[in-house]
Amino acid sequence: MPRNLKIALAILIVAVLAGLISLRGLHRKIARLSESPTTEEQARRDLLAPPISTASDVATTAKIFWAAGPDRLAPVDVQMALSADPTQRAKQVLHALITDPPTEAQRTLPADATLLSFYILPDGTGIADFSDALETETPSGISSEELAVNSIARTLENNVPALRRLKILIHGEEVDTLAGHVDLTGFFDLNPPGPPPAPLNSAASAVAPAGATTAAAAVQSAHH
Amino acid sequence: MIGMAAASAAVARGTRAPEELPYAQAAQQQQTAQPPAAPPAQAPTQPAAPPVATEAPAHIGPVIVLNPAHGATDTGARGENGIFEKDLVLEFAMATRAELQRQGYRVVMTRTDDSNPSYDDRAAIADAFRDFIFISFHISSTGTPGTARTYYYQFWNPFTIAQTAPAAAQTVPYAAGKNAPATAKAVATPLHALIPWEEAQRPETEASHRLADILQADLAQHFPGSPAVSSGAEVRDLRSVTGPAIDVEVSSVAVTDPNSLRVMAAPLAAAIARSIAAFHPASAAGDK
Repeated sequence: MPRNLKIALAILIVAVLAGLISLRGLHRKIARLSESPTTEEQARRDLLAPPISTASDVATTAKIFWAAGPDRLAPVDVQMALSADPTQRAKQVLHALITDPPTEAQRTLPADATLLSFYILPDGTGIADFSDALETETPSGISSEELAVNSIARTLENNVPALRRLKILIHGEEVDTLAGHVDLTGFFDLNPPGPPPAPLNSAASAVAPAGATTAAAAVQSAHH
Repeated sequence: MIGMAAASAAVARGTRAPEELPYAQAAQQQQTAQPPAAPPAQAPTQPAAPPVATEAPAHIGPVIVLNPAHGATDTGARGENGIFEKDLVLEFAMATRAELQRQGYRVVMTRTDDSNPSYDDRAAIADAFRDFIFISFHISSTGTPGTARTYYYQFWNPFTIAQTAPAAAQTVPYAAGKNAPATAKAVATPLHALIPWEEAQRPETEASHRLADILQADLAQHFPGSPAVSSGAEVRDLRSVTGPAIDVEVSSVAVTDPNSLRVMAAPLAAAIARSIAAFHPASAAGDK
């Protein structure tokens, strides 16, 4: 066999081996990416919305409204640090609403949803601006969308007394509906809570996240 | 954002009550209730969309406007087995149309194909009639399969006409629905004032609630697991409708076999027909 041919064959074999090795590495990388536990939205949230803390934070009991059935909400008492500033306080409770449901079955908002911004107008109108995931990943349907909107409204009205009404935006813009059904073009009235109602049933207790205490009476999401 | 609907239409609507009219007069009223002759219920700034289909013109009583939700690129809820809400609600509406026409009702559909009229266009189709009932069809992506729920539009905030409309000498009280939010106190509404397009459903809340409860009670009997009473919700497609308007939502696209939803079409249609007859006795079969 001519020497030139031997050299060419050797180069070819080395190239093939190198290609196989790099392909295997590439395959591993693709597999790692596909198994990544965080979606792009979650990664963005981790970057943009770390846990909110302010100088005026005081450990207190917040009432966070999560699902207690397909069309019902129940407040869960959660021990957490809340700011004296209503805007920051609203961000803190909404952050908890999205990220800390006691169980996945109690989740009312998509895990990938992010509160992009929250501000309060002088008349007490709270503007909550959520990421696209709230619109695209909330299960489509009247009940599920009502549950999502009511969990936001009830959580805000029970923890941020300065708020009088709520407007929900998606990525800075008004949208017709949350996921095809529930109307988001208007304002949702918020009524500061009166004296705490007596629990209807002790069995209504729900599993609460770390630091949580009790669950109060269930409320029907559709009526407020 | 605030298109203004003719408000005197709502006031006039409040005085109509065909069921209180003699048969012939009601029939005459219905004959004149064609879209070109009844523009007052329509907002000047809203599109004047013509009805897609009108049939059985000899019937008296309210026109039944059936609204299959979604359409075209808006699929609505999507099941993992390729079930699209937009397709099945069209089948439900078609089945209901056939049942209602069989009983002599005049039926109009907001869409009969895979199109997607806007919310306002759909409302305008209904609002063009003087006397109508609007029924919208949905299929959820959650909930117990085989159950059905009815909804009426429940406004979150108090009536605001008095603040937004020009002052008028004569006022009539607005009575909130019995399940209206606690904040929705009775507020004086100027007579002949304009009703915001966004709140056109508000004066009809009580009637819509009643119709929804009648239908829900029927559904609870025929679809086990369904609730006994209707629910209030801020469902977008009802907001600008100026007559009794309800949503019917069937659960759910999560089923593995779409035929398990299709078999609900006939009993659902029959329940709707019975409920309309109960809600609007003058249009019941025995009176025709």
